[in-house]
Amino acid sequence: MNETRPHQPFIRVRGSLTRRLTLLAALWMAAGLGVTGWFVVRLAEDVIEQAADARMTSLMDAVVAAAALDPVRGPILVRAVSEPEFDRPLSGHYWQMSAAGGLIATSRSLWDQRLPAPSLNEAPRNEDIIGPRDEPLRLLERRVQLEARFGTPRFQQVTVQVAVTRVPTDIEIQRLQNGLVLAFLGLGAGMVAVVALLVVWSLAPLRRAREELVEVRAGTRQHVDLTVPSEIAPLVNEIEALINQNRTTLERARTHVGNLAHALKTPVAVLRLALERDEVPAARAQAATLERLVQHHLRRARAGALAGAAGEEARPMVAAQSLATALRRLFSGRGIEIAVLGRETARSKADPQDLTEMLGNLMENACKWAKARVECRVLPGAPGMIRVEVEDDGPGLTEGQDAAALARGVRLDEAAPGSGLGLAIVADLAGLYGGTLQLVRGARLGGLRAVLELPGRF
Amino acid sequence: MRLLVVEDNTELSKQLRTALAEAGFAVDSAADGEEGLHLGATEPYDAVVLDLGLPRLDGLSVLRRWRAADRAMPVILLTARDSWAEKVEGLNAGADDYLAKPFIMAELIARLNALIRRASGVARPELDFGDIRIDTAARSVTRQGVAVRLTALEYGMLVYLALHAGRPVSKTELTEHLYAQDFDRDSNTLEVIAGRLRRKLGDGLIETVRGQGYRMSPAR
Repeated sequence: MNETRPHQPFIRVRGSLTRRLTLLAALWMAAGLGVTGWFVVRLAEDVIEQAADARMTSLMDAVVAAAALDPVRGPILVRAVSEPEFDRPLSGHYWQMSAAGGLIATSRSLWDQRLPAPSLNEAPRNEDIIGPRDEPLRLLERRVQLEARFGTPRFQQVTVQVAVTRVPTDIEIQRLQNGLVLAFLGLGAGMVAVVALLVVWSLAPLRRAREELVEVRAGTRQHVDLTVPSEIAPLVNEIEALINQNRTTLERARTHVGNLAHALKTPVAVLRLALERDEVPAARAQAATLERLVQHHLRRARAGALAGAAGEEARPMVAAQSLATALRRLFSGRGIEIAVLGRETARSKADPQDLTEMLGNLMENACKWAKARVECRVLPGAPGMIRVEVEDDGPGLTEGQDAAALARGVRLDEAAPGSGLGLAIVADLAGLYGGTLQLVRGARLGGLRAVLELPGRF
Repeated sequence: MRLLVVEDNTELSKQLRTALAEAGFAVDSAADGEEGLHLGATEPYDAVVLDLGLPRLDGLSVLRRWRAADRAMPVILLTARDSWAEKVEGLNAGADDYLAKPFIMAELIARLNALIRRASGVARPELDFGDIRIDTAARSVTRQGVAVRLTALEYGMLVYLALHAGRPVSKTELTEHLYAQDFDRDSNTLEVIAGRLRRKLGDGLIETVRGQGYRMSPAR
C-alpha cells in the first residue's frame, strides 16, 4: 500500500533580504542625501551671491559718492574711485552714469562700449547680463539725485549702473558644488555599505541555524543547539519541535511495523501448519485473522503517522456532506435519508483524511443500521473542542454493548456487512488527536448516537 | 447477465473470470484502462468490476468518462486502498459500490447481484412469479417451494427476463446479455433454453411475442 501523500514544495524563493534591505536603504539615502545636498548647495550659493552683491553695493556707493553733476557735461566723477579695475580696459568691472539728454559718463574700463540702457522702472535693478567681452556680468542699477556744481536745475536724476564680472563667483559656486556632491556621494556609499554589513551580520544567526539543520538532517547532530537573537528564537524553536515530532512519528511507525510483524507471526505459523495438513477451514480462518490484523495495523500505522503531524485544518461539514453524497449512492437501494446539519465555519485539528475516515466509519455504520434516517450534526463541544454526533433510527445498542462495540474486531451482529473494525478505528484515531468517541442512545431518532469530540473550533 | 472485469493483475483477473463465470455470469475482461474504457463504452454490460489502479488510464478516469458519455451500468470499484477519502472520491465519480482488496468472492458476487437488481428497480432479492420464486441472492429457483435445478444459461435468461418483466426482450438483447464477447453466439440456442425453462417451470411463465422476443408478466 502506497501511503505517501502528495508532496508539493510550498517554498518559493523570491528576492534576497540582503539585496532588498540594501536596495531600500540605498534608495532612501539617495533621495534623502539628494534633497539635503540640493538645499545645502542652494544655501551656499546664496551666501556667495550675497557676498558678491554686498561688494557691488559698496562699489556703487563709492561711485555715487565720487559723482557730481556738471551742467554741460552731465554726470562726472569729481574724485577717483579706489577700485583700480575700473581703470583697466575691459577688466570686467564697469560703471556707467546716464543723465537726461543722453549725457553719459562711463568708467575707463568700458572703453568704447556701453552697458545696457537704463530700465524705465523706478525700482532698483539687479540682474545678470552679457558684458562687452561676452562675459557674464552682474548688473546693479540705482537712480540717484545728483547735485549740480553750479547753475540750474540744482538737482537732477541720474541712473548709476555698476557691473562686475560673474566669473570668479561662478567658479567659486562650481567648486563648492563639486565638493558637496563628492562629500554626499561618499557619505551615501558609506551608509549603504554599513547597511549591507548590518544585514549580513543580522542574518548570520539564520545561516548558522541552517548549517546546524543540515547537520541534523545528515544525522551528524541530534538537536539544533544555538544562541540566537530573540527574533529568530521562535523560528528555531518551531523547527526543533518539527524535528522532534518527525522523530516521534518515525519511532511510532517503527513500533507499529514491529507490532505488525510480531502479530502476524503466529497466524502465519498456524496457516503454514494448516496448509501442510490440507486443513482448508483452519487455513481459511487464519487467512481471515491475517487480513483483519493487516487492516487494523495499516490503519493504526497510518493514523499514528498522521496524528499530530503538521498540516491543514479539516472542515467537518465539507467532509460530512461529501460522505453523505457518497453514502446516499452506496445505500440507494434502501432509500435512507442522510441529513448533515451544523455550521460551515467549524474546523477540526485532525488531518482532513483522518477526519473523513472517522466520519466515514461512523456514518456508514449508521446507514447500515438505520431504518430510514441518519443525521450528522456538527456542534460546539467542550472549550477548544468540536462535537460531531452521528445518529440513526436503527435498533441502537443495549447497556454494555457500547464497550464491546469499541473493542477491536468485535462485531455485535453479523447481519450487517463489515470487518468489525470501524468503531474501534474511530476511537483509536480520535484518541490520537486527543479526542473521544462515545456511544449513547440517540434522543432524537432513537437509535445509536455516536458522539465524536475532537480538538477544533466552532 | 454479462459483466466486464477491468483488472490488470492477470492472476486476479483470471480468478475473477473463473469465479464469476461459475456464478453464472458471462464475463468479458480488459487488462488496462484504455481497453476497459472502449469495451464499457461500446458493449451493453449489466455491471462492471473496475480496478482503480490500472495501466494506461486509471480506473477513476475510466469511470468518469463512462458517466460523462451517459453509460449508466452499475460499477463496483476494486482497490487495495480503502480509506474513506478514496471511497468518497470513487463513489462521487459515479461508482455504485466499493470493495477493498483482499475481498471474499462471495461478497463480490452478492454485491453484483444486488447492484444489477437495483439497476432494474427491484429492491428485494426475491422475485415471485405465481408459484415460481427466484432468489437472486441465493441464485436459486423454487416451484411451489420445491427447488428447480437450472443451468447457468437457463438461470441467466430467467433472471434477465424477470428483471425486465412486463416488456418483450428481443433475442439480440438476450444474446448480448447472456454471452461473453468471444462466445460463439447462436440465437437458435435461446429457443432451446426457453423451451427447457418452460418445461421446468411451466408453460405460462415465458411467453413468445411474435417478432419481438420473449416476455414475462410482471412479478406478483
